[in-house]
Amino acid sequence: MSFSSYFSNRRKLVALGWLAFLLLVAALADWLPLPYAPGDSDLTHLSEPPFTALAASRHWLGTDPLGRDLLAGLVFGARTTLIISIPAALLAVGVGILLGSAAGFWGNTSLRVSLGHCFGVGGLLLTGFLSIFRLWPAPELAWPLTATSFALVSLLATRHVELLQRVTLTFPVDQLVMSAIALLESIPRLILVLVIASVQESSVFTLLLVLSLTYWTGPARLIRAEVMRIRALPYIEAVRATGLTNMSILIYHVLPNASRSVRTAFPLSIAALIGLETTLSFLGIGLPTEIASWGRLMATARLDSAAWWLIVEPGLLLLGTMLALRQLARPDEHTGK
Amino acid sequence: MLRLLLTRLLRLLPVTWGIVSVFFLLSRALPDDQLLARAIESQLDTGSRAITAPQRQALELQLRRRLGLDKPVFYFSIQRSATGGQSHWRWHGLRNQYHLWWLDVVRGELGRSYRDNKPVASLLIETLRFTLPFTAAAAFLAIGAALWLSLWMTRHSRWRSYLLTILYSLDALPLFVVALVLLYLLANPDMLALFPVYGFDNPEPTDTWLANVGSYLHHLALPVFSLVLITLPGLVTQLDASLQHELQTAYAVTARAKGLAFRQVVRHHTLRNALLPVVALVTDLLPAMVAGAVVVEVIFALPGMGRLLADAAAARDYPVLQGSVLLIASVRLLSHIVADGLYWQLDPRLRSQL
Amino acid sequence: MLRIAKFIFILFIITECIACSGPKKHSGTIRIRWAQDPETLDPLAMANIYADEGLNLLHTSLLAFDNPKGQLIPWLASKTPVVRYKDSLTLITYTLRDGATWDNGQPVQAHDVAFTLKAMNCPGLPNEGIKVRLDFIRDIQFDPHDSRRFTLVCKGKSPDYIRESGNFFILPEYALDKVGTLRPISLTYLQHSDTVTLARNPVLSAFVSRYQAADLAHHPDRLPGCGPYQLEQWQSGQFLRFRRKSNWWATQLRPFPIQLAAHPKAIEYRIIPNPGTSLLALREGTLDVYPLIPAKDFNSLRASASARQKLNFYTHPSYEIVTLGFNTKQPLLEDRLTRQALSHLLNIPGLIQATEYGLAERTVGLISKRSRPYYNDSLPLLSYDPAQTVVLLQKAGWLRQADGNWFRRTVNGAAQKLAFTINYRANDPLFEQIGLQFQNAAKAIGIAINLKPTESSLLSARLREGSYDVYIRTIAGNPFIFNFAPILHTASIGVLNYTRFGTANSDKLIEAISAEADQKRKVLLLRKFQLLLQQESPLVPLFFLPYRLVASNQIANLQPSGIKPGYEVKAIITQPAHNSQ
Repeated sequence: MSFSSYFSNRRKLVALGWLAFLLLVAALADWLPLPYAPGDSDLTHLSEPPFTALAASRHWLGTDPLGRDLLAGLVFGARTTLIISIPAALLAVGVGILLGSAAGFWGNTSLRVSLGHCFGVGGLLLTGFLSIFRLWPAPELAWPLTATSFALVSLLATRHVELLQRVTLTFPVDQLVMSAIALLESIPRLILVLVIASVQESSVFTLLLVLSLTYWTGPARLIRAEVMRIRALPYIEAVRATGLTNMSILIYHVLPNASRSVRTAFPLSIAALIGLETTLSFLGIGLPTEIASWGRLMATARLDSAAWWLIVEPGLLLLGTMLALRQLARPDEHTGK
Repeated sequence: MLRLLLTRLLRLLPVTWGIVSVFFLLSRALPDDQLLARAIESQLDTGSRAITAPQRQALELQLRRRLGLDKPVFYFSIQRSATGGQSHWRWHGLRNQYHLWWLDVVRGELGRSYRDNKPVASLLIETLRFTLPFTAAAAFLAIGAALWLSLWMTRHSRWRSYLLTILYSLDALPLFVVALVLLYLLANPDMLALFPVYGFDNPEPTDTWLANVGSYLHHLALPVFSLVLITLPGLVTQLDASLQHELQTAYAVTARAKGLAFRQVVRHHTLRNALLPVVALVTDLLPAMVAGAVVVEVIFALPGMGRLLADAAAARDYPVLQGSVLLIASVRLLSHIVADGLYWQLDPRLRSQL
Repeated sequence: MLRIAKFIFILFIITECIACSGPKKHSGTIRIRWAQDPETLDPLAMANIYADEGLNLLHTSLLAFDNPKGQLIPWLASKTPVVRYKDSLTLITYTLRDGATWDNGQPVQAHDVAFTLKAMNCPGLPNEGIKVRLDFIRDIQFDPHDSRRFTLVCKGKSPDYIRESGNFFILPEYALDKVGTLRPISLTYLQHSDTVTLARNPVLSAFVSRYQAADLAHHPDRLPGCGPYQLEQWQSGQFLRFRRKSNWWATQLRPFPIQLAAHPKAIEYRIIPNPGTSLLALREGTLDVYPLIPAKDFNSLRASASARQKLNFYTHPSYEIVTLGFNTKQPLLEDRLTRQALSHLLNIPGLIQATEYGLAERTVGLISKRSRPYYNDSLPLLSYDPAQTVVLLQKAGWLRQADGNWFRRTVNGAAQKLAFTINYRANDPLFEQIGLQFQNAAKAIGIAINLKPTESSLLSARLREGSYDVYIRTIAGNPFIFNFAPILHTASIGVLNYTRFGTANSDKLIEAISAEADQKRKVLLLRKFQLLLQQESPLVPLFFLPYRLVASNQIANLQPSGIKPGYEVKAIITQPAHNSQ
């Protein structure tokens, strides 16, 4: 083992250690001997600086402008980061990789789909939509209609109708994905979020949904570019010649080489998602106010611009987490040599 | 090439139409009480006159009629009864808000703002006049600084990890903190009052042309700087990662082996390839230029697109919202074409695919 | 790319050197911070408080308020109007001030008032709000001998009619209706015909299109009022500059009525949305007045010695009251004992200390202590007493279970759990602080409360429909009238009576208060009302917000008041810098 790879591994260990520490703190938050709960507002100690706490007040790390204890906020905020922000980032990157790589790999011309499949999937989507939102013209017909359309869809999608199988269409994956990206990125965030919130009651699940739905577009564009580049490389031609299916070429030969930019962007996305979560919480769509989050702690600095500790303390934790994730996500560039 | 460009541009039309239509329907699904409250209830509170619910409904109808909001939103509507799962489909014909709005757009009319009654097109142009200079300057500076920093890091590898950590900590800060810190440090009578606190000053007639431009840029410096700082981490980390990767590839090693200077290798061989993944980020700055940055605009009191959009969304100023979504969506789609064009330029192998 | 970036960078550096000039001297222009653009200066629309302030410089109304004294004073009217009653009608006779002229030199006449009233009732104009506010004015009668005298015929009787009938901007007929096409059309016709008939009337539609073509929202000069100022320049989202008319009619009046004084030569409203930025601008000297400044900024500024040397600090109690309201149709909160119990969880002194630095006026009802005879001082102030909450909850039939939660059985046998949501406007730290304190206190005795900041459109829709449990919001009041029908009468349910409160008894009392002209009887009624409010407690009045104002010490006579905008801009005078603190 060379020195540099040992060094890199040690850094990874530190990173893992940090995340494990956060995990431990987050898991044990309820049992830690904290002087205050995260939602407790101490009206007599607003915006108290850290380390000045008298024995009586016991706000060791200070309070925010609404009198909430910062220590408790940081500890419980770690839980929010681990439950919401990191999973949301992973989910967003996952969706981004899925759609972005499909767009980059098949482009607008390479994916040919039989008419039967088109009808099938289209019909399924329509029935699904109408059923989920209960929009059938008559409720007593809902189940029979769903069943019939399902039967029809399966019939169309299988090989029974010869004609529908023979006629194929090019499926413009790239065009569709890029349009979806443009759609999500062009609509003012406030409107998008309010629409989702009006359909779904606010919950952790909704929050994850909103966060990843609005954030997958960035990773998708990054990975699309990489996949497009790699697809044109000679070795993919060579792999193609071996007769592998498109899917396995994409998964085993393209994606491993295309993930670098996404991995680089991943740690930074945590900060962005925490910011987004904060905005949502202020609109009452994110987490309930009594659940602390680092982003919200930082945002309270708006109320009191002299309170540096509101930025520095959660900021340092966030930075630590981002750097740790960077170490873990970074491709092992040194080990190859 | 030209034909390709033309077909791509033509293909934009249906997509833009789709995006604006989806937005139209989504935005109309939200409660628009604020719109009505501004006109009706702002004048009625305690101590004023009381009106009954039917009176209010009559007023609401009158206001909706004046704004054109009394017509059905779309060609058809689905009403779900409160009791069961019964839904009622209804056909409304062509006299609906959606149809009429598109008819106006085709005629080149974007309507008038509900709030200040200005024509939306001129409102957008006027706002862009303030937004574009500072967002564009910020974008150019950010790209330039990112290039310079990442090239610098290839030569000073010892500083690389420190610099990256600094950039990460910059990214960990919310935008409002970056902007406020700049404001409190550099425009504070108690600290360094290098820059003016807010806005552009009213141009005074005695001032010379040069001084006007000077004061203009002087006012823009802090907003531009904070935007640059916020854009840098994403760009530099990405550019640095791909530069590091490219420097280890066989061709770079060969180029070095044949005796080329490191600088030459980086500038002429690896940079071109390393730019490819960054293109997606860079072209994303194009729609961002048009959309503005609401936090920076609020803090530095600039009347930009970000503020316009945020205010319009809060007040449900539909004509303005639709107009700006139309604008932003088209620029964004254009930026996708620009991105593909850049890929084409940077990597000729891609030409077969686009 | 590198080269372009370098060029831009160098450009910034160079201009930096050119533009570095010292701070400017005070030029006699009063520069005032506004948080937001007034959006429209159409005199009929009045979109927000900023538009109202701007319009008050351009236009005049018959009567005005002397905010510091809390009195109604004649403005464009020469004296307070004569009121007569005839059958079910109130007749209010005004005489316009002698010498009042429009910008073109023509005198302001009764016909202009008639024109204004017609414009207010003409469909198709942005007049929905003002129309409903003044819909009691049914007709205008001219005096055949005096073109400045007229009588407003009002439906019904109310002591508020005097104030309301004098509180609208008088518009010039000549600007939009030179030949008087609207004169033959009566006000009754406009008020009583349906919109279809009105839309077909060619005279009206011609007028509407003239009005719309004038685009008054941004060109107030096309309908110039007889106020002392005119709009000189308006950069949307940046600033508005008003300049005093050089030959304003009132300057010729002898003796000069003090209330018409307009001192500043020019007034500039600077639109700076961010409070921190406004604060820096104030310290830098590019801003003279920062009205409605947040408590925290006010106090930190006052703590700074360098700021104290340049600035003056003013506070004034306002008539804007912070309330916590219950949805009285919510099964959990429909009985007054539960509502009373919950109101004891509010630590009002603690909240005043925390959010307003101790500077806020408590109250037993919706009436301020400053409205002396009306304030019911025999009622106790609400105490912060969770033990009392427990007692009252038990009285209301709630039982605390072993798991710590409160349950009760309703009449039909269903079990209720005491847990609810508080809605308040998103991004408002004051409401959040109140909600947090309430939530904390409730949690301590086993009541789970969910805080839900809500976007303002969503919030007002929910409040109006009654789909909420508890709200926190402010109610704007004023010292002149005591009409609680809009917020507490059953007829206003679905409009502004968000609590959906109302009994036959309370309705009768509210109606009696608003109709009562005799002060002694009014005092009795209002005291009874405050008692009723405390017993029923559909809403809990927390405190009256103080208005804070910081201004440069180069200006004086701001006349701080408790009514928005919180100062009298026309009264401001510049003075040599000295420190009054």
